[in-house]
Amino acid sequence: MKSIRPINFFSGNSGSDQNIILDSIADGVFTVDKDWRITSFNRAAEKITGVSRNEALGQLCKDVLKADICERNCCLMSTMKTGEQIINKKVYIINAEGRKLPISISTALLRNKNGKLLGAVETFRDISIEEDLRKVISQKYNFADIISKNHKMLQLFDMIPDIAAGGSAVLIEGESGTGKELIARALHNLSSRKKFPFVAVNCSAIPDTLLESELFGYKAGAFTDAKKDKPGRFKMAENGTLFLDEIGEVTPSMQVKFLRVLQEKTYEPLGGTQSIQHNVRIVAATNKNLEEMVKQGHFREDLFYRINVFKIILPPLRERLEDIPLLIDHYVNRFNTLQKKNIEGIDEGAMSVLMSYQYPGNVRELANIIERAFILCKTGIIEKKHLPENLFASQTKESNAEGESLRDVEYKYLLNILKQNNWNCPRTARELGIHKSTLYRKIKSLGLQLP
Amino acid sequence: MRLALSVFKNCISTVFDSADQLLIVETDEVTNLKKIPLKFVSAVPLERVAQLKDNDIDVLICGAISRQMQALITSQGIVVHPFIRGEVDSIVSAYKNNQLEQAIFSLPGCRRHGTGVGFRGQRGKRCRWR
Repeated sequence: MKSIRPINFFSGNSGSDQNIILDSIADGVFTVDKDWRITSFNRAAEKITGVSRNEALGQLCKDVLKADICERNCCLMSTMKTGEQIINKKVYIINAEGRKLPISISTALLRNKNGKLLGAVETFRDISIEEDLRKVISQKYNFADIISKNHKMLQLFDMIPDIAAGGSAVLIEGESGTGKELIARALHNLSSRKKFPFVAVNCSAIPDTLLESELFGYKAGAFTDAKKDKPGRFKMAENGTLFLDEIGEVTPSMQVKFLRVLQEKTYEPLGGTQSIQHNVRIVAATNKNLEEMVKQGHFREDLFYRINVFKIILPPLRERLEDIPLLIDHYVNRFNTLQKKNIEGIDEGAMSVLMSYQYPGNVRELANIIERAFILCKTGIIEKKHLPENLFASQTKESNAEGESLRDVEYKYLLNILKQNNWNCPRTARELGIHKSTLYRKIKSLGLQLP
Repeated sequence: MRLALSVFKNCISTVFDSADQLLIVETDEVTNLKKIPLKFVSAVPLERVAQLKDNDIDVLICGAISRQMQALITSQGIVVHPFIRGEVDSIVSAYKNNQLEQAIFSLPGCRRHGTGVGFRGQRGKRCRWR
């Protein structure tokens, strides 16, 4: 193998001085020449890769580092080509013992004192502990693809296995985009019915006249062109779970039919003469307040009590702001995988905008915002400029309150600024130019609730 | 006898876990070699192993490989020669001549794997082409 002497790139320092400097760094550091052969290799690099300095010097860097990106997306090669640094890119290496380690790497060009290009330098850090912790946290706050650390949601996560085990009807209430179908699927997957189908029907998407045949099926000859029997969703969900989304949109005549199906546990296909027994668990969902609709006479009280055996209320995203960073992290990882990109996350400015937005479309809207930012983001980090403009409009609107008492204005201003600072009181106090104990007094006197 | 090599261009791919290409080398009784290139269908370890099994691979020669992946492959009765580097032709010929243990074919710092995990208990049956 080609033997290469270490390059003395720190002018004025001898080779051994250079090694002392490099060895005192906790991060792995190695340098390569223009042929990708290693010219220096510090102690931390030996420890992380499991390859001794003597064995590493003069070798191709890919053979020593053994990273998953070495052959197709080499960071050093990219830096050498473009001259641009790469900072904290997460990759996996396989060390000499066969352990797969996540590391964070950064690269830069290496020049001598005259500016002549000598090669490149790569620094890397073993992030397996951080990754393990991240996994523990994400598992703790992840329940059947639902991510939250909000106390209400965590209580719900504890209850879901028990609700799933029972066979009773469940009503899920929550605004659009709060994850009603995810909860319904979790209830199904954790129940004894999980081997049988989960069938979802959006009641508002199907006209009333078709909904009946769609749900209960029809017999041949029931109407023109009904040439053969067609099974309905109830039949398809036999022994499983039927998820009736937007149940609040169902017309009164259909409500009567539902009532009979739930009460008698039987249904009749269109054009049929015999009732069919069913064994289907009903999980209904709505984004309306059904209790209110019952009071107003828009929803049948008896049907309401039939489906409302157990009610789950999903809080909107604006009431669980602490979930926003978790969800952002989740969607950044998801879109990185789907779109084969390497966006590291979002910067503080963008985060404060996302934290102070109201999210009428809830988690779905947040997912769309991140997906949009992925299209526009060419750098490694999502910034304010990658976010849609309507997010900023809501910020301005909030701060332009008129005709309110001083207390109201103070309340809103403080709430806004706290949200922007991710509820970090010392940072908020610094931004306002007041002492943090003054801020705490203000929060208390205004009755502000910190998450 | 079917030998598989995880390859990148005309060399052994540095990391098996993220390799895309496989080269299957078949031999008949007159020691004529037949090379069949194959693309890995998935990066999921179980699917990777299933693909090797589906292709009746007896021996795998690869670059760096994670312990879990290696354990999965050996559990299927496939002999693994890990942490190997070099050009495909020289590796195949070294394998035929039982010379894979030479330092020149081992990734830096990984020689013990060459004489360890992959070769353990296979003395005398490492190459059946001769």
